[in-house]
Amino acid sequence: MTLTLAIHSSKGGTGKTSIAINLAVAFASAGKDTCLIDMDLRGPSLCSMFEPKVHFWINDFLSGRCNIKDTLKDIGKDMNTKGHLCLSFANPEIAEIRNLASKDRSWQAGALKTLMNGKKELIRSDMDIIIFDTSPGVEYESINAVAASDMVIIVHNDTNACYSCTEQLIKGIYNPLDKKCAIIDNMKHGNCLNNIERSRYGVPILATIPCMCEVATRSNNEILIHTEPEHLFSKSIITIKEEIERLY
Amino acid sequence: MSYSEVFEEIVNNLKNINTKLDRVIAKMEQKDDHVSKKTQIMADYLDVMTLLSLPDHLRTTATTLFEIGPATADEIANMTHKERAVESNYLNQLVRMEHVTKYREGRKVYFSINESLRKK
Repeated sequence: MTLTLAIHSSKGGTGKTSIAINLAVAFASAGKDTCLIDMDLRGPSLCSMFEPKVHFWINDFLSGRCNIKDTLKDIGKDMNTKGHLCLSFANPEIAEIRNLASKDRSWQAGALKTLMNGKKELIRSDMDIIIFDTSPGVEYESINAVAASDMVIIVHNDTNACYSCTEQLIKGIYNPLDKKCAIIDNMKHGNCLNNIERSRYGVPILATIPCMCEVATRSNNEILIHTEPEHLFSKSIITIKEEIERLY
Repeated sequence: MSYSEVFEEIVNNLKNINTKLDRVIAKMEQKDDHVSKKTQIMADYLDVMTLLSLPDHLRTTATTLFEIGPATADEIANMTHKERAVESNYLNQLVRMEHVTKYREGRKVYFSINESLRKK
């Protein structure tokens, strides 16, 4: 049984990519064959963390130029994970991002159908976990990823703007698409130890991660769950992984 | 008129009716082909924003069709736990809205999300 997660947020800079990467490593370390796909096509970030030595980008797959497997790079051995850890990168070249911004509704409709078929292909190849790292807000690419997922993980930060927009996303996007969802309170200021809020907008809160400058600075060149499993951030990732498994 | 004559006349009439029905079916299939070609030319595409703006019942049907690919009304009904006739009605509404294409394979009628004209 394959579980497909979309890591999404209403606003940018909430820590989606950090959580997506660490969560993917956590699942792969636990022996799950995991695939992390950069669906933030307008602001790719996976390629800044890993070297994208592949012939095809996820953009090529969505345009029907290759198979989804052609876009994958397995870094499981490099990361010493028990399960495969396959990455699919988005093309960071500005010409490609400009080209993408000009795509019409017809292209996006095709991209959704292609993404659904890609997911089916990954399921057929016995992938256990598929994670889509998405762009924030209501962009075609991110909502396509939400539509193709089984569960949406909303990464939320401590701002009023994030609060009001998240509620709208739940009511206007995730619920109509019949998606299970869960919230991660990231970069939380104030008391996190005695936090008793278990759900918001009818959606469970998987973990509350305190704001730590160290996480932001160290995440530039290391994956905390890999380099320091005892770190509070890493432990929160393990809690999130276990909660997701329990909920699904 | 004897019984056998009456019987023979009934059989002949039935044969005539059959021949006429075959002609009507052939004409209807021709018309269907014509319509489906026309539909293909006019086919709209179902993007995720359009999917979100569909009424709840049609969105569930369309989402299920996205998930399981080309399917019969029966297969969709098994997934959505609704009656086959209900799903058939929803699917035909989606066909009329030009989001879904309908085609026949043998005795089964399949529905599929419209292919969009991809610009690579």
